[in-house]
Amino acid sequence: MSKQRAKSYRKKIDGALATPKLQEALHRFGDAYLVSREKAFSGLDFQELRGNISAMKKQACIDREQLQQQFIDQATAAGATVYRAATADDANRYIADLAVKKAAKLVVKSKSMVSEEIHLNHALADSGVRALETDLGEWIVQLAGQRPSHMVMPAIHMFKEEVAELFGRQTGKEEPAEIEHLVEVARNFLRNSYLEAEIGVTGANIAVAETGGIALVTNEGNARLASTVPKVHVVLMGTEKIVPTLEDAARIVQVLPKNATGQLLTSYTTWIRGAVPCEGGDKELHIVMLDNGRSELAESEHCKDALNCIRCGACANVCPVYQTVGGHVFGHIYIGAIGIILTAFYHGLDNAAELVKACIGCRSCVAICPSQIDLEEIILHLRETIGDKEGIGTGKALVFRKVMQNRKLFHTLIRAASKLQKPVTRGERTIRHLPLFFSPLTEWRTLPAVADTALRDCFDKQEQKLAKPRYRVALFGGCANDFLYPELGLDLIQVMNALNVEVFYPKGQNCCGIPASYSGDKETSVELARQNITAMLEENPDFVLTTCPTCAVALKQNFAEYLKDSPEWVDRAKVLAEKTVDASSFILEYLDGADLFKAAAKKEKVTYHDSCHLKRGIGVSTQPRQLLQSAGLDLVEMAHADRCCGFGGSYSLTSHPEISAKILADKVTDISNSGANTVAMDCPGCMMQIRGGLDKADVQVRARHTVEILAEVLRNKNIQA
Amino acid sequence: MTRTELLERFSQSAETAGAAMVTVDSAEAVAAYVAARVSGPVLLPAFASGERLKLKEALEKEGLFVITEPHRADVLNAAAGVTGVNFAIADTGSLVLDSTAEEVRLATTFPPQHFALLDPDKILADGLAAVPPMRELHRRDGRNFVAYITGPSRTADIERVLTIGVHGPKQLHILLVSGLSSDPLEM
Repeated sequence: MSKQRAKSYRKKIDGALATPKLQEALHRFGDAYLVSREKAFSGLDFQELRGNISAMKKQACIDREQLQQQFIDQATAAGATVYRAATADDANRYIADLAVKKAAKLVVKSKSMVSEEIHLNHALADSGVRALETDLGEWIVQLAGQRPSHMVMPAIHMFKEEVAELFGRQTGKEEPAEIEHLVEVARNFLRNSYLEAEIGVTGANIAVAETGGIALVTNEGNARLASTVPKVHVVLMGTEKIVPTLEDAARIVQVLPKNATGQLLTSYTTWIRGAVPCEGGDKELHIVMLDNGRSELAESEHCKDALNCIRCGACANVCPVYQTVGGHVFGHIYIGAIGIILTAFYHGLDNAAELVKACIGCRSCVAICPSQIDLEEIILHLRETIGDKEGIGTGKALVFRKVMQNRKLFHTLIRAASKLQKPVTRGERTIRHLPLFFSPLTEWRTLPAVADTALRDCFDKQEQKLAKPRYRVALFGGCANDFLYPELGLDLIQVMNALNVEVFYPKGQNCCGIPASYSGDKETSVELARQNITAMLEENPDFVLTTCPTCAVALKQNFAEYLKDSPEWVDRAKVLAEKTVDASSFILEYLDGADLFKAAAKKEKVTYHDSCHLKRGIGVSTQPRQLLQSAGLDLVEMAHADRCCGFGGSYSLTSHPEISAKILADKVTDISNSGANTVAMDCPGCMMQIRGGLDKADVQVRARHTVEILAEVLRNKNIQA
Repeated sequence: MTRTELLERFSQSAETAGAAMVTVDSAEAVAAYVAARVSGPVLLPAFASGERLKLKEALEKEGLFVITEPHRADVLNAAAGVTGVNFAIADTGSLVLDSTAEEVRLATTFPPQHFALLDPDKILADGLAAVPPMRELHRRDGRNFVAYITGPSRTADIERVLTIGVHGPKQLHILLVSGLSSDPLEM
C-alpha cells in the first residue's frame, strides 16, 4: 500500500516539475504577495496582532463545548436551524435531504473549503441536485473537473487560455482569452442562477458565539447573492470557526485579508445572524456545524494548535515547496503546511503520509502564520507518528539506531568513507560525479568529499597561546563542520583566539539528532540529546558555540523539549540551552568584537544568504551582516535572501532531491543576479548545497561561512601589518 | 484621531480600494451626480436619511425611473442602487450598511453601480471601533445582515490579475453629505 502510494506521489511531483509555467506563476505571485502584504500591515504590529489571535483561539479551543452551545442557542433564537454533523457523511446527507425536501434542482454555492473537504457537490449530484460554484476560481476549477490548488485562490494553477476554452464550452462560442472579458462572461453567465436556485450554500470565515451569527470575508460579491436571493440558505462551517465575541471576530477580520492576499480588507465582509427577511417572509437558514475529526484534533496535545488556523493560505504563499510543485501535489484537499496537518485529521493519516515528508522544514510558514501555529513542529510530530506506524525504513533505522546512537561506530564509519570515496573524488575536495544509481545525487550539484582528517582529529593540534583568555568556550561542530569542513572549525579557533577566547572540542559530542528527528525517529534524537548534553557540559565551558544553526536549534530548543519529562536531564538541557550561541552573535554581541575586523577586508561585493534555522529558528539575521559590513565589505542584498536554499538535510539527499534541485536553482539565480563575488552564510549545510549548485551551474561566486570570511579578514590584516 | 483626520484616512483608503468619492450638499446635487452617470432604473430602498432628504423626488426630478420596493423581477434590469450608510470605517475605507431589509441587499448586489450617501461625521477609526454600534444593531434587531463594503466587487482569480466588477457592483460612488445623520444605527 505505502509503496504504491509513494510511487503515485512521485509521479505527481514529476508532473508538476515538468510544468515550468506553473512554477513561474507561483513564484510571481509569491513575490507580489510579500510586497502587498508588507504595505497592508504598515503601521501595525504583526507580532502583537497574531499574539492576540493565537491566545484567543487557544482559549476558544479549551472552551469549545461551551462556545458551541452558546453559538447554537443564539443562532436558534434568531431563527436558524443548527445541525451538528459528526462526519462528512452526516453533513452531506443533511444537505442532500434538505435539497430533496425542497424539490431543489439547483444549488448556488459560494466558496467553501469545508464543502470541498466533504465532497458536497458529489453528494448533491448523487441526489439529483446540481451544485453550481459561483466564485470565479471555484467555477473554473469545477468546469475543469479539478479541485482547488490554493485555499484562497482556487485556480491559481490555471491560465487565461485554459479558462477561455472552458468558458467557451459553456457559452457555445469562442471566448477570447482576455481576462476582463472572461470575468464579464462569468458575471453574465451566472447572474440568472442566483434567481433560479432554490438553495444558496456558503461557508463561514468566522462564527460568533455572542451573536449566533457568521461572517463571510469575500471579494467578488457572489456570497452576498447566494445568501440573499434563494429562499433557503445553508451555512456549512467547521466547529473551529467559533470565536467568543464580536471583538474577537473583528481582530480576525483585521488580519485575514492582509495576510491572505495583502488587501487591507476584502470588498465585502458580511455579517449574517438568523433568518433574515426574504421575499416578504423569513429566509430558511440552516447551519451545518461539522466536526469530522476536529474534536480528535482538539484532544491532540501536539497538534491541536492547527485548529487556530483562520485559512488565510499564507503558509502556502511563502512555501518554497508549494511554489515548486503547487497545491495539487503539496496538498490533498487542504493544501500547504496547514493542509498536511488537516489532511491527517480530516482525511486520514494515510492521505497525509507522503505530504508530511514533503515539508522541507524551512519554517517560512511558521514566521508568517497569523495564528502563530508552529506548523513545522506539528508536521514533525506527524512524521514521527507515521514513522512509528509504518516504520522509518530499514535503511534509515539501521543508520540512526544502530550506527548514530553508537558514536564511535558512526565516526569510524565516516572516517572509513573518507578512504573509500577516493575513486570518485580523485583526490579533490568535491565529488562531481557518482557512479551507478548514486549518479542523480551529483547531477545538479557537486557534493563535498569527506575530509581526510576530521575536525575532531586535528583540533588539538592547533596551538592556542592565550595567557589569560577572556572565556573558555566549547565548539559544537556538528557533522558537517566536523567531517566535511574541518577548516571552518580551525578558522573559528583563529577568530576566537584573536578575540582572546580559547576554544576546545569535546570529543564525546555526536550528531545533534535533527536528521533522525526529521526522519521520524524520535528515539534516536532523544538518545543523542543525552549524549550531547553530557559531552558539552562536562568541562563546564563559559559558552557553547555553534557554526551550524540547525545544531543550534537542537541545543537551544529541542533538547529541553525532548527531555522535559525527565527530571534528571531537563535542568542540564536548559543549562546547555542558555550557554549555546551561534558564532556570529557571540562575536558581535557577547564579545563586542566587530572592531577587530574594522575595514580590514579586501574591497569586494558580498551578498548574504539567511539560513532557515538561523533566521527563523534562533532569530539571527542582522548580526552576521553587521560583522561583514564593519569589516568593510560591500554588502549587497540578493532577492529572497531568506528563502530556503533547498538543502533540508536528507530532504535533498534522499527524500526529495528533485524539489531540492529546483529550489537550489532559484537560489543560484538570486545569488548570481546580486552581482556579488562572495555569498556569505552561517550554515555548513547551506554551504554544501549552495557551493554544489554554484559549481554545477558554473557561476563564479564563492560560498563561505561568515567565520571563514572573518578569518580571511584577519589574515589579510596580518599581511597588511 | 480628529474628524478631519478620520475623513482624510477614510478617503485615502476608500479611493485605494477603488471607490469614487465626491462631496455634495443637497438632494439636488446627489440626484444630479447620479443622473449624470446612470441610464436605466434606479433601486432606492427606504432609508431614514434618504427620506428626510426627499431623495426620491429629487431623483425623479432628474428624470430617473426610481423603484423604491425592488423585487427580484426588477434587479437584472436595474442600472444602479442608491442607499445610505450607517457608518464608515477609516482605516480600511469601508462602508457599513445595515442590510437586513432585503431591498437594501437587492439594491447593493445586482446593479452595476452603487451610490452610497455618507455623513462624514459618521466615520469610526477601525474595525474594533465598529464593534459597539455593531453590537447595538444586534441588540436592537433579532436578525441581522450587516455588510461592510470596501470598494467595488473584485477578483484576481484568473492569473492573479485584479479585475473589477465580477458579481457585485462595478462602481462604488461614495457621496459625502454633511448633516445627513449622526446616528450610526440608522442609515
